[in-house]
Amino acid sequence: MGKKERRSQITAFLLGAVIFIIFIFPLYWMVVTALKTQVEIFEIPTPLWPRDLTLEAFQDQLSASSDTLRGFKNSAIIAVGATVISTVLAIPAAYGLARFRFKAKKALILFFLITQMLPSTLVLTSLYIMFSGAKLLNTYWAPILADATLGIPFSIIILRTYFLSIPKELDEAANIDGCGYWQSFFRIMLPIARPGVVVAAVFSFVYAWGDLIYGITFITDPNMRPITSSIYNYVQQYQTLWNSTMAFGIIAISPVVLIFIFMQKYIVSGLTNGAVKA
Amino acid sequence: MKKKRKLNGGARMGFIFTLPAAVYMLIFIGYPMIQNIVLSLKNVDVYSFARPENQVFVGLQNYIDLFTSNNSILVTAIINTLVFTVCSIFFQFIIGFALALLFNKKFPGCSFFRGVTMISWLLPVTVAGLLFKFMFASTGGIINQFLQGLHLIDQPLEWLLQPGTAMVAIVVANIWIGIPFNMMLLITGLTTIPADVYESCSLDGANKFQTLFQITIPMIKPAIMSVLTLGFVYTFKVFDLVWVMTKGGPINSTELLSTYAYRLSFEEFQFSQGAAAANVLFVILLIAGIFYIKLINEEEEIM
Repeated sequence: MGKKERRSQITAFLLGAVIFIIFIFPLYWMVVTALKTQVEIFEIPTPLWPRDLTLEAFQDQLSASSDTLRGFKNSAIIAVGATVISTVLAIPAAYGLARFRFKAKKALILFFLITQMLPSTLVLTSLYIMFSGAKLLNTYWAPILADATLGIPFSIIILRTYFLSIPKELDEAANIDGCGYWQSFFRIMLPIARPGVVVAAVFSFVYAWGDLIYGITFITDPNMRPITSSIYNYVQQYQTLWNSTMAFGIIAISPVVLIFIFMQKYIVSGLTNGAVKA
Repeated sequence: MKKKRKLNGGARMGFIFTLPAAVYMLIFIGYPMIQNIVLSLKNVDVYSFARPENQVFVGLQNYIDLFTSNNSILVTAIINTLVFTVCSIFFQFIIGFALALLFNKKFPGCSFFRGVTMISWLLPVTVAGLLFKFMFASTGGIINQFLQGLHLIDQPLEWLLQPGTAMVAIVVANIWIGIPFNMMLLITGLTTIPADVYESCSLDGANKFQTLFQITIPMIKPAIMSVLTLGFVYTFKVFDLVWVMTKGGPINSTELLSTYAYRLSFEEFQFSQGAAAANVLFVILLIAGIFYIKLINEEEEIM
């Protein structure tokens, strides 16, 4: 390695480190605030590191009487439900759109692409009326059914690229061996496409977990609220209790952060495949 | 004969595989979209909501009211949404592009730094919004403390309580959320440029800026275009962030089309007017969407 090249590597490393620090600062600040006392938060200037490290805010949020754990449980039910629906529907659809030629194919791909771009506000009022008529308001079903629509188009688009990348000879060989379409789909394609399925499921989960608008609109019962909606309501009520709010926030983002830590590689590839290759 | 049957069977199978997802999306997106148009042509509000017999068609009256009535802030909302979108995209793109150029090189720690910056894109926007609301708070907010430390301001600013600065605050938060998306798509674009293009460039004695503007940017133009159009679509419909940080205030200064449509329907219970406002948002997005789809088709034909 030449001297010049070495120097440019060091510069790049330093730049990368600075960007990392600026970028991660808001998250650092969330953690630090959650560990501070209310007094320290409003001190001028407020310390960049808590002097009296305290877990009180977390204890409050995790106590049995708080909304946090209930919200967490509700969000888990809603997000898992939406993920199941979205993945179960998206896998065969992506396979069909990747492997077969049929008349409506192009129109269907376009349809899924467009649904991915629609704002929730566009369908919100009609869905509200629909769910109100079906007596689904204030049940988990309303946000589950609505949140699944966030995951389906994206899952189809990334899974389709995945199926396209599997050599066609594989299912042709399966057909010759006497496998029907269903058999070759379940026995051969699905196991190979497993990483793609995981990415699709993860994205459906993250979308459903992060949803606010369907949650606050379809569920007004405080016991049923998803965690995004309960933290939103918590802040309306306790405007300046920032250490508690930040502790609440950390609990709310914890599943997403864990997913991110363990599946970062898949997520990055999923994002780029889904958005660029469409 | 047998082969032909198999081909037809294949076409049918493809359709059958795709059908359940398509039906689901038609029920929960397609049908509500059509209902939303119907609703926007009626007079449904809090009084007539439960009494269908009182609901009548009023034609385009809701749209006319939204654009002309003194109570309506639709035009303000359109302008705010445009300001919010253009400012967000401008900075997201420039910063995202700069980061993409940096992280496209190989250096120690590169993939770690690049990976961690991704997280802001995945966080639930509600929490990100609350976090920025706290950082921009007039008392106890770190941004004021930081700017005072640098002697850029003398007094703490009430960021979220003044019209101009509230817009700045939501744009800054949205830039933080959106940078990874821009960066990742542009990095993907950059990796498609073969290394020998740069080699022949440096042999020709081109400097870094020449290489950037004459080689890099033209070669990843497709990626740039899709980042910009997709960014436009995703930013133009932002709701959660603004609802959490400012709720459209103060004095409607951060009211966007999405928050306005929501407010009309679910705070004022003017369901038909809310539906009409959402349709205005949709038409603007549709134009951008058509542009994007044309772009993809062109790319596919080239490939």
